[in-house]
Amino acid sequence: MPDGIEIQLKKGVLGLCVLALLQRHDSYAYEIASKLAHAVDMGEGTIYPLMRRMQSDGLVETYLEESRSGPPRKYYRLTDAGRDRFDTQLADWRAFTASVEGLIAEGAAPAENTEGHHEA
Amino acid sequence: MKRDEFLKRLRHGLKGLPPEAIEDIVADYAAHFEAAADEGRSEEEVAEALGDPARLARELKLEAGFRRWEDVRSPSSAWTAIVALLGLGALDILVLLPIILPALGVVIGLYLAMFFVFVAGGFILIVGPFSAFPGGILTAMFGGLGMMAIAVALTALLLIATIGIVNALVWFGRLHYRVIEPAIHSEG
Repeated sequence: MPDGIEIQLKKGVLGLCVLALLQRHDSYAYEIASKLAHAVDMGEGTIYPLMRRMQSDGLVETYLEESRSGPPRKYYRLTDAGRDRFDTQLADWRAFTASVEGLIAEGAAPAENTEGHHEA
Repeated sequence: MKRDEFLKRLRHGLKGLPPEAIEDIVADYAAHFEAAADEGRSEEEVAEALGDPARLARELKLEAGFRRWEDVRSPSSAWTAIVALLGLGALDILVLLPIILPALGVVIGLYLAMFFVFVAGGFILIVGPFSAFPGGILTAMFGGLGMMAIAVALTALLLIATIGIVNALVWFGRLHYRVIEPAIHSEG
C-alpha cells in the first residue's frame, strides 16, 4: 500500500517537523533532511523545494556561516511568522492527535466485545 | 551517477527559469553533495537518493510556473504554467491534450467574439444616431450601449471561468509530482 494512510500522515506533518527542528536551533538543509529522513522516511531531495516554499512564505530566513570544511553553509532560522506558524500548527496537531486517540480508545472496548460474541 | 553529472543534468533541465533561480537551486544540491561527502557517503549513493535530475528539474520548473500563476494572474503566466504542465509529459496529461487544445481554442474564440461585440456596440452608439438607424437616435444609442455592457459582463464571466480552468489544471498537475511530491503538498 504505497499511498496508504501512513504516507498521507507523513506528508501532512513534514512542515510541522521542519518548524519544530528549527525552533530548537538553526540548521542547514542537509542536517534537516537527514533528521527527517530518519524520523519520517522522507526522500532527502524533497527538503529543498520545501525550504524554498517556506522561505517564500516568510516562515524561515537564511544566512551563511563558515563550516569547518569546504565553503560556507546556508543556515535556516525561523522568522517571527515561522514561530507563530509553529505554535498554531503544534496546537492543531496536539488537538488532532488527542481527539483521534480518544476515538480509538472509545472504539477499542466495543470492538473486543463484538469479536468475543462472534466466537461464541 | 557522479556529482558533476547530476548537477549538469539538473542545470540543463532548469533552463528557462531566471538565471539566479537556477544558481540557487544548483547551489543547494551542490551543497547537499558536500555535506553528504563529509559523512563519508559516495557521490553515486547521494545521486541515487536524490532521484532523476531531469525529472526533478521538470517538476521544479512546473512548480515555479504554478507559483507564478498564483502570484500574478496574467495570460503569460497562465501560458507558462500550461506549457510546463505539458512538459511534464505524464501520459494522462497528454491524453487530456485533445480536450485542452479545443477548449483553449473555444476560450480564445469567445474572447475575440466579445471584443467584436464591444466594438460593434461602440460603432452603433457613435455612428447610429447620424445614420438612418431603424427606431431612431435613442434606440441606436441605447442599443449600442447595451451591446457594450453585455460584452463587458460576458468577458468578466469568461475571465472567471478561465481562471477556474487554469487553477484546475494546476491542481491536476500537482498530483503528478513524484520527486518533490511530499514537500509541495505538505503545506496544503
